Amino acid sequence: MAAISVSLRLARRALRQNLLSTLVAVFTVSLSGGLFLGAWKTKQSVKLAFAHSAGGFDAVLGARGSQLQIVLNALFHLENSPGNLDWEQYETIRSHPGVSEAYPFALGDNYLGYRLVGTIPELFLNHQWRSGKNYQVRSPGRIFSDSAKEALVGAEVARELGLQLGDRFHPYHGLEYNPDRKHNDIYLVVGILEPTGTPTDQVIWIPLRGVQTMEGHDPEEANSISGVLLNLKGSSGLALDVKYNKQGDRATLAWPVPAILSSFFNRFAWLERSVAALALLMALVGGLIILATLRTTMHERRREFAVLRCMGASRTVVTGSILWQSILLSAFGALGSWIIYFLLSMAVSSLIHLQIGVGMNLPILDGMALLTGVGILLLGLVSAWFPARKLYRSSLQESLNPHG
Amino acid sequence: MHFLSVENLHLSFRSPNGKSHSVVQVPAFSMEHNQQIAIKGPSGSGKTTFLHMLAGVLTPDSGQILIDGQSLGAMNESDRDQLRSGTIGYIFQSFNLLNGFSCMENLLLAMSLNGSSNFDRARSLLDKVGLGDRKDHLPGQLSIGQQQRVAIARALINRPKLVLADEPTGNLDPSNTDRSLELLCSLCKEWESALILVSHDPRVIGKFEHQIDWEELNQVKEPEEVEVEKL
Repeated sequence: MAAISVSLRLARRALRQNLLSTLVAVFTVSLSGGLFLGAWKTKQSVKLAFAHSAGGFDAVLGARGSQLQIVLNALFHLENSPGNLDWEQYETIRSHPGVSEAYPFALGDNYLGYRLVGTIPELFLNHQWRSGKNYQVRSPGRIFSDSAKEALVGAEVARELGLQLGDRFHPYHGLEYNPDRKHNDIYLVVGILEPTGTPTDQVIWIPLRGVQTMEGHDPEEANSISGVLLNLKGSSGLALDVKYNKQGDRATLAWPVPAILSSFFNRFAWLERSVAALALLMALVGGLIILATLRTTMHERRREFAVLRCMGASRTVVTGSILWQSILLSAFGALGSWIIYFLLSMAVSSLIHLQIGVGMNLPILDGMALLTGVGILLLGLVSAWFPARKLYRSSLQESLNPHG
Repeated sequence: MHFLSVENLHLSFRSPNGKSHSVVQVPAFSMEHNQQIAIKGPSGSGKTTFLHMLAGVLTPDSGQILIDGQSLGAMNESDRDQLRSGTIGYIFQSFNLLNGFSCMENLLLAMSLNGSSNFDRARSLLDKVGLGDRKDHLPGQLSIGQQQRVAIARALINRPKLVLADEPTGNLDPSNTDRSLELLCSLCKEWESALILVSHDPRVIGKFEHQIDWEELNQVKEPEEVEVEKL
């Protein structure tokens, strides 16, 4: 025990004496570990967050086009709509026996960059956006009327724009904010939704007819919608897939939503691999820096080791101090990795939430994080192994007289 | 039985050209408990090498060293480490205090290597060498003379039976030399430690009752300047 304690004390002192190289080594190791962990966990969390943020829908019916574009547009309010559907198409699918829920929606306007989505009040009355969770309107407040220029504002929009009950606003034409394209219509805020952590928070909801009949819109499109949000019964998805995607040529059924989102993430596999390769490269650099730090320290401490041996320190004590030095460097590196991982995750989480309203879980120290910490410690031990072995094998005579 | 006895001690080094050069050849040497001996001799004549062998740092090619009845040659490395940490105190010419450690920590570390830790004893010893008020100073914050006093305290903190002092005043001015020698000799006497001091300085040697001429003790007449580097 005494030997361990002395070794540890010597190692701590050596780290303090070489503070700059210690900090550089710890920072490099932290960065590589944090980047690796951040890349890995962010990928997992984003996937999970997107899957949880699909708003409780199985499928989306949209104009003929890309399934991914339809899902991103309808559920995440990203991208443009591939086109419009006729009202009849909505009525057809609504009456299909395999469909349990069908909510039409229409896009085309914004307010200061936040999308206006037209839909029917039933979406907020009946639909569960997550199992057992209906939309809640902050009190006092209510859902918009089907036949009035009223708006139900998502929680994030209300917070960002400071919209309150009773506020009135002019919508702007298009999905991007352009001050020159203001509509004359005036909408009244009648309700603000409680936060859901889904893209719903980033949207201003108005009656479907509001978007259809907005001043300046093409009167011929007054009977069209952008798509239909669907929940399906049992295995009816297969039949509908055949009907719309294989046999039909007027609409596309984006189903199943999780598989489509998965294909979306596969597009970024190269990025994942690049970040992982970069992190591994940095881990290698981190290991080399630990090795270089230890070798420099060993050179500088050669005399100290000889003095210690003359004072009665065993080989184990002096070798142990090198190993401890590496363990401490690695442990600080692991700690730094977790801190960088936390900061990185928070930044990514906040960015994603800000951009598309998808809420991610806060980063936690789970198995992968602990495994990364253990990996860093092993990296440190491997880096320390050769200098420590060399030191252990050198005799006191060599330490006293390096020239032989 | 003598406290320390040496018989037919021989050590040679192999030079880069492959030739073997004798450095130390001591047929016999002994000393008693509490005795204080000064060995005088020119620099580079093998005195430090002799001390290293007495401390178990270097292994002789042949011969025997007995300390307090124990043969160094019969000890394994671990035993020799223990001997150095507990029985022997070593003082270097350049003090060799551990730089990142305060005066107090230098003493406590020496105690730790001997498996003990007694803060009060360390503080008391620092008081004794006149550095009680500087216990938390780092070596770099002390004068040369003060550093040597800490080195003396560190060598004596475990109350060793044998103190080996290798040119301990080599870097000191006359005033500090006198003070350090007086301190070293009085502490060794008080704690009943035997002392072997080697020096090339006749003024230092002159202060000892028992003096040995290294050139008479060592039978190697031309050690060829291959002495171990001094610490």
